[in-house]
Amino acid sequence: MGRLTFDAIVVGAGPAGVAAALTMARGGLKVIIIERGRFAGAKNLFGGVFYTHALADVLPDYWERKPPFERPVTEQGYWMLSPDSVIRVMHKSERYRKEPADAYTVLRARFDPWFAEQAVQAGALLITRTTVTRLLKDERGRVIGVDTDRPEGSVYAPVVIIAEGVNNLLTRQAGLIASDLPPTHVALAVKEYVNLPAKELQARFGLSGPREGVAIDVFGDVTLGLPGTGFIYTDQSGISIGVGMLLDEFITHRLRPYQVLERFKNHPVVRPYLEGGEVREYGAHLIPEMGYDRMPKLAGDGVMVAGDAAGMVDALHREGTNLAITAGKAAGETALAAHQQGDFSAAFLNRYRRTLEDSFVLKDMKQYRRMTDFLESSPQFMGTYVNLLNEAALRYFTAHGIPKREMEHDILKMVRERRSFTGVAWDMLKLMRAMRG
Amino acid sequence: MHAVVAIKQVPDTSNVRIDPETGTLIREGVPAIVNPYDLHAVEAAVQLKERVGGGQVTVITMGPPKAAEALIECIEQGADRAILISDRKFGGADTLATSYVLARAIETINAELPVDIILFGKQAIDGDTAQVGPGVATRLNIPLITYAIAIEEFDLESRTAIVHRRIEQGVEVLQTSLPVLLTVEKEIAPVRHAPLPRLIAAARYQPEVWSATAPVVFDPQQIGLKGSPTVVGKAFTPEQRSGGEVISVADLGLNAVVARALAVIEQAHVRNLQPETGVVS
Amino acid sequence: MNAEQPVVPRIWVFVEQQERQVHPVSWELLGAAKRLSADLPGSVVEAVLPGHQIADLAPQAFHYGASRVYVIDSPVLEIYRNLPYAVAVSQLVMQYRPEIFLIGATTLGRDLAGSIATRVGTGLTADCTELAIDPAQHILAATRPTFGGNLMATILCRRHRPQMATVRPRVLPMPDPMPDATGEVITVPFDMREEDVPVKRLRLIRAEEQPNIEYADVLVAGGRGVGGPEGFALLEELANALGGMVAASRPVVDAGWMDAGRQVGQTGKTVRPKLYIAAGISGAVQHRVGMSGADVILAINTDPNAPIFQIATLGIVGDLYEVIPALIRQVKGQAQDGQAHL
Repeated sequence: MGRLTFDAIVVGAGPAGVAAALTMARGGLKVIIIERGRFAGAKNLFGGVFYTHALADVLPDYWERKPPFERPVTEQGYWMLSPDSVIRVMHKSERYRKEPADAYTVLRARFDPWFAEQAVQAGALLITRTTVTRLLKDERGRVIGVDTDRPEGSVYAPVVIIAEGVNNLLTRQAGLIASDLPPTHVALAVKEYVNLPAKELQARFGLSGPREGVAIDVFGDVTLGLPGTGFIYTDQSGISIGVGMLLDEFITHRLRPYQVLERFKNHPVVRPYLEGGEVREYGAHLIPEMGYDRMPKLAGDGVMVAGDAAGMVDALHREGTNLAITAGKAAGETALAAHQQGDFSAAFLNRYRRTLEDSFVLKDMKQYRRMTDFLESSPQFMGTYVNLLNEAALRYFTAHGIPKREMEHDILKMVRERRSFTGVAWDMLKLMRAMRG
Repeated sequence: MHAVVAIKQVPDTSNVRIDPETGTLIREGVPAIVNPYDLHAVEAAVQLKERVGGGQVTVITMGPPKAAEALIECIEQGADRAILISDRKFGGADTLATSYVLARAIETINAELPVDIILFGKQAIDGDTAQVGPGVATRLNIPLITYAIAIEEFDLESRTAIVHRRIEQGVEVLQTSLPVLLTVEKEIAPVRHAPLPRLIAAARYQPEVWSATAPVVFDPQQIGLKGSPTVVGKAFTPEQRSGGEVISVADLGLNAVVARALAVIEQAHVRNLQPETGVVS
Repeated sequence: MNAEQPVVPRIWVFVEQQERQVHPVSWELLGAAKRLSADLPGSVVEAVLPGHQIADLAPQAFHYGASRVYVIDSPVLEIYRNLPYAVAVSQLVMQYRPEIFLIGATTLGRDLAGSIATRVGTGLTADCTELAIDPAQHILAATRPTFGGNLMATILCRRHRPQMATVRPRVLPMPDPMPDATGEVITVPFDMREEDVPVKRLRLIRAEEQPNIEYADVLVAGGRGVGGPEGFALLEELANALGGMVAASRPVVDAGWMDAGRQVGQTGKTVRPKLYIAAGISGAVQHRVGMSGADVILAINTDPNAPIFQIATLGIVGDLYEVIPALIRQVKGQAQDGQAHL
């Protein structure tokens, strides 16, 4: 009959899957990547900012291969937005200008295909427009391959790496996680790409040329004071602007994502940056926010999971893609070792988890595991403090001609009224606990 | 059985945008696809091969290097051999120059392995001219049947085939000698979801590339701009017919809406007679 | 064939006939030829009429503006096949070297035009929506839609002759006939033997009452919003009440709810009715290209952002299953009240 057999199967051609395939192909394994989209990255969307350390780790000569980055991030920081004001805390440094830079803005529809091509060049086989429908298991429940939606579509391999993204059907099938993500543990983000000629863009953001770029994360009024963030990132000749919140928040407050984005775009502080720009694309994507405690088991007999499918996202630091790549590489290395030993059991494959525990991937996820719950339990945190800070700033800066002590009393009174000092102290304590892990 | 299918890679015109200033096509970000009718032509060829119990399906295209992707998709659908005819000198070709190149290529392919049937999609969704197929048949001096919807019989022994052709009055059942050139409608064969082993084979397949000079020599006077009697004088976005008012049932209520509709219908000066059937040709 | 200018510029129109019925597009083209002739000094408008025993159709061509008709009469031309028609007409073209040659973009015309252009070695512009004489160069400027109607292109054929163009039925207006006009008939011999024609028609499966929506004054067209084939019975009721016919958008035909003969759009038919009612049609540009020439467009759609509203004389945001029955009641009620005019 001629079964289709490979040394390893990777489900999903996003950053995690490609990093795994690249690692394994370079190690001499026969690898097939099965992607359901029309091309690698077709189903992916993010803000977003890409951290090159992870890429350098898996592809040391990546810079010579001319990755399709948008702009190096040479200035970044936060905007704390109240309904009519903003406090901006931005950091710019000459030291950001060295290239390859630490971070670049990236468009996934351009980057992902390039990255997948690197895996193909290393010898991996990339099959697109094909959906893996289920895992194939032997009589002992060990994963031995996958089934797809195509005729004669079964493929066999001793190890399968699931990099299927936030819709984690296969991860559930593999028994690595009990259920799919509840609305309290998944965020919905929407974004638009607004085209603006490079010169205009540079003038508005104070950039001296194409080798400079800005990454801004926005809190407060952008999500109506609820937990969540907005972002504004400069691409080569356009702006990526978007907003994300927990799905639960959208549902509870009956908010339509695009309405929230439109409101953000129309905020008096934001609108001038977009003036005259043409919306070229818009899209939405789910982001797992399960947190460390709800992550799936990372390995089973003959199977491992990496990337969004494993919930590897650190929203606080806007990291996800780099976790995916690092995890993909670790999974790939584990698969290589498993082939050498001829052992694909869960016990052996668990070294994948141990590798991640030693790296920033699980260390960070563990440290910030209380963040989602903290924000859920203190939903007023964003709104209250951002507004408070803006009001305080306004009073501070307009206190001419009145005794400054009055102004200071005013500010303290405001804090007391809105949150009380014990409230503030309590919030700070909870925040510290959430951040310290 | 040897079938040749000529395909074209086209922008997905349902997603096309025109730059209102320059009047040119914004190609960036527009997915390139195999012209839908051509994909059905490939399917028809593959199914014919299955019907007669074997043979070869050769797919050809004249286009830029990127058109190789379209050829790979045809290999996925079951074609055996793919040839990309690509050269800067072919640029600017209108349908006359294009039919010259394709006919010449098919002649060469035929000399290696005689061709029994040539298939084209009925028209390309970007150019919409439907001229290249007839042009190629004329140059090769073989019978032409356009708007084919079915191949009822295909007999290599007697060198004949029976083809169904859709015309305004209905369906013509035509008998033709072989080789024949068909331009096909989608009905000729539904495009099947390709089996995975074929996708894998296609991913490893490299189409052959022919230039203007090798392995075939194309007459420089008949290709590209030189070989094109027609040129685009100018291109512009169509004048948009502007709309009138838009009313909603939710706002005005059904009765008010219907009253407005009747008033507008009256504007059309339509006489309430027997249905006009016009002259049927 | 390059332009060695003959003394008299001839503007030719192909007269399409099947079973001795002339397709009206031929007259529409004669109308256009007359208008072109006014801008091309010294030119004449002539018609080419191939077939068998069709000489008595020639006078009609005179009525619509031809000063001469070339009748190519041969048994091998009784039924249309590409080879005899292409050879016969091409021979005539090469003998007389017309300046311009117009052919209707019907199934037959599109099958034939490309073959003639290739035999003769000249340029052909298909599916033109506009024909004019370029004032500076005195050549044909043929405008056509490309990329599914998103972009218009004006095509020129500078040095090759004839300059060929095809035009879809109903794009050009039907001229008024001049019943007293006469002209010259040239009988052209053509001797191809039937044995030399490789394609034979075994039979014709006639479509049951093939709808010719192209010439209907009123069309009630349904799109995906109709939801299924059953819904078209409602549209048919409205069409009958208004004296019109039912038409469909491409998705409807692709889904098999309606016959391909009813399809309006880029890959279907072009229509110019007095009234076009679009029910449940979003109005993608490929559809609009086929119907934006209608005098009055009434659109019904539940989506307020449907592109069809951009070109509708009146757009109704609502459920067609609510609006159309109400409309039918009113239309029928008015008819009963003896209102002669709608």
